Amino acid sequence: MKSREVDLVVIGAGPAGLAAAIKAKERGVEDIIVIERAEQLGGLLHQCIHTGFGLQYYKEDLTGPEYAHRFIKKLKNLKIKYLLKTMVIDISSDKKIIAINPEEGLLRLHSKALILAMGCRERSRGSIAIPGTRPAGIFPAGTAQRFINVEGFIPGKEIVILGSGDIGMIMARRLTLEGATVKAMVEILPYVGGLIRNEVQCVHDFNIPLFLEHTVTEIHGLDRVEAVTIAKVDKDRNPIPKTEKKIKCDTLLLSVGLIPENELSLKAGVELDSVTNGPIVHGTMETSVPGIFACGNVVQVHDLVDDVTIEGELAGASAADYILGKVTPLEKKIHIKAGEGIRYVVPQIISAQRDVNLHMRVLNPDRNVTVRIGKDLLERRFPIVKPSEMVKITLPLARLRMLKEETKELMVTVGVDEDDTRT
Amino acid sequence: MGFGVTKSTHSFIHAGLPDSGTPLTNKLVLEGNAMFDQLTSELDVPFTRIGKLFVVMKKNEVEILKKKKEDADAAGVPGVRIVNSKELRAMEPNLTKEAVAALFTPTTGLVSPWELVIALSENAMENKVEFMLNAKVTGISVPRDHTFVINTTRGSVTSKFLINAAGLFADDIAKMVGEDDFSMVPVKQERSILDERVTDLVNHLVRSPITGDFVSPTKKELKAKKSNVIIGYTSEKIEDKNDVSTSREGFQRVFNFAKRMFPAFSTKDIITSFAGLVPLNTRTNDYIIEASKKVPGFINAILGGSGVGASPAMAKLIAEILADCGLKLVPKQDFNPYRKGIPDFRELPDDQKEALITENPQYAHVVCRCETVTEGEIVEAIRRGARTLDGIKFRTKAGMGRCQGGFCTPRVVQILARELGVPVTKITKREDNSQLLLFKNKGGERQNEIARS
Repeated sequence: MKSREVDLVVIGAGPAGLAAAIKAKERGVEDIIVIERAEQLGGLLHQCIHTGFGLQYYKEDLTGPEYAHRFIKKLKNLKIKYLLKTMVIDISSDKKIIAINPEEGLLRLHSKALILAMGCRERSRGSIAIPGTRPAGIFPAGTAQRFINVEGFIPGKEIVILGSGDIGMIMARRLTLEGATVKAMVEILPYVGGLIRNEVQCVHDFNIPLFLEHTVTEIHGLDRVEAVTIAKVDKDRNPIPKTEKKIKCDTLLLSVGLIPENELSLKAGVELDSVTNGPIVHGTMETSVPGIFACGNVVQVHDLVDDVTIEGELAGASAADYILGKVTPLEKKIHIKAGEGIRYVVPQIISAQRDVNLHMRVLNPDRNVTVRIGKDLLERRFPIVKPSEMVKITLPLARLRMLKEETKELMVTVGVDEDDTRT
Repeated sequence: MGFGVTKSTHSFIHAGLPDSGTPLTNKLVLEGNAMFDQLTSELDVPFTRIGKLFVVMKKNEVEILKKKKEDADAAGVPGVRIVNSKELRAMEPNLTKEAVAALFTPTTGLVSPWELVIALSENAMENKVEFMLNAKVTGISVPRDHTFVINTTRGSVTSKFLINAAGLFADDIAKMVGEDDFSMVPVKQERSILDERVTDLVNHLVRSPITGDFVSPTKKELKAKKSNVIIGYTSEKIEDKNDVSTSREGFQRVFNFAKRMFPAFSTKDIITSFAGLVPLNTRTNDYIIEASKKVPGFINAILGGSGVGASPAMAKLIAEILADCGLKLVPKQDFNPYRKGIPDFRELPDDQKEALITENPQYAHVVCRCETVTEGEIVEAIRRGARTLDGIKFRTKAGMGRCQGGFCTPRVVQILARELGVPVTKITKREDNSQLLLFKNKGGERQNEIARS
């Protein structure tokens, strides 16, 4: 078996992995290998042929492939090595990796630092236990997206979409443009699961019938999907009897959430957060295993690729510092906790050494709220918050320095403004 | 083959604890169990004697276990014993603290029923058995004793003996020769599969002796990574023999039992749910394995629950029945009992992995990420007869993992189309009209359709 010593291995060549590798190289790490299981660099961006990428990072409206291309070009210009069609099959906490590909067979890599950037996968029909028959014609929205945009096939003509995540909404528009009829988008929550801009541009602008507080209660059809039954749900999300409605369709797409893919992280002994399903990370994106960093959707499912890139760059820079011995020991660890109204906060651990970007999600949609970090460290007001829109707050170093020496924990909470004058 | 009842049955080879009123089932399950080590080793099918624990939660229920132990001892089931709560804790550390005792049957085994059927069919072909697939029997005429003309959708066949092993549809076949004293009734059982990350929580088949609900690993070899946890049991007599739909109630019952037994389980661990049908006949509570008294040469081979475990012993019995009916059986000199399975790349040691890749680099291209199934395995499955997405799935496990085919489906479809030399739009989920992709979106069928309209 071939065996190699490497400074840095990056697992995954999606936007997170590409940004991390580029930043690490720019910071002076020479020997980097990016490992990608697919046939090309760029991760899932190549199937996202819609626009909306790069609005923040480049101040331009790019398609997924265009956005990816900029990073791929940079990676190649920097002569960073990468392996395609290469799957990591084993990994250990001492940063030893076994990977395989058809050109080189089994490869053993031993790296000084490791960046996990494997992304996420879609939740399946099975994971949400939709009752009924098991015919062909049930696809996760992203799988359908690949079929349509990459392979050139339309799964069906009469579509029902369960869930209103971003991919589901984008596919509603895409399928309509391809001549299919989207007969219903069914969402169990009282609000749409994805970004407001997608709700407007993909659902409302294309007159997609939206059924909020509804779910699919049965799938019909023996060979191929023939219909689905939907029903209204009560506040505990249980179907309400006698509200059922049968919709004839040949395809059911699922857009019911994404799960960070952390099977390799677990093998490496990385500690996961039970809410994000991603690694618990420090402000530097280092995981609980020293020298193993993580970034992108493997850490938390992001809304925007721009944020993934920025997180990737942070992980790349931190891994470079680690490899080049520039790491200053943590002065002290402060745990960031999700309090009232907050589902999670990333990073989970910070130190008072640099500005920290906190990413968080609220539990419920609300208007005119204040997010508080610690009792009185920092407050930010937001006119509107939604669980589907990540809340981003920068905690400046100057503020962190104001913390008392004994502070070990910062609680993040959200509440309605006290001076809220709504009636 | 094996895509009827077998595909959705559980994996248990029962030890043979006797039930009252089912002497033939008791006998064949007990005898069949003892045959599995040799059979599965010859056929290269994973098999493990995992052992079963009938767990009770109340002190007074220990009596049920004692009664079962007496019956088991009388029937000659090996090694059955009652396990106290302390030992139970050691055997199943993650089992609920509510459990007070269990009956342990060490010979209970695990086999994948469809892997067994695929292996048997490959071995049968190797030994010159001919198969007619996609051949639905449309009628049978019996011009005289020991002559059957079997008409199918793919032509007719004539034989002197006819074995009716049509499972859930055995009544339809029997009626065609004039035997109409029984019908087959499906009993639906719902099950769910949990992610492999919880497999280490469960060591044995854990079952309630009262309700029949169970929790079990799907495999448990020494280094079985490809193992999930299966939970199940709802039992409902239904009418439609094609109805394998699942229900919200069934799912909740199955999961609630599993959660009660293993409190560490969460709904997040569920990767899929399905229903299987157990074929029962209306004539007896037992199997029907016998020569017809009415139609000479017609033999019913009708199993029911625990049928996979009973099948090897049933086969011996059928051979005896054939001999009794006048068929001269001569052992074949060149019979080959051995069959090699598709290489299971993920389970191989590194040196064997390398050897396989050197021989065929397709074994270094991972197509299914969740189960680490390579292109080499998929191509080999097609060479052995897989033609559908499910055919690949049940032979290689591609698409059976936690993402349920989200990533590998487009790739497997492409490999199928390439290897079979057919358009992608012709690829189906199963051998029926379960087409996966209905149209091409650039050129092709759809544009033609628009032009027509």
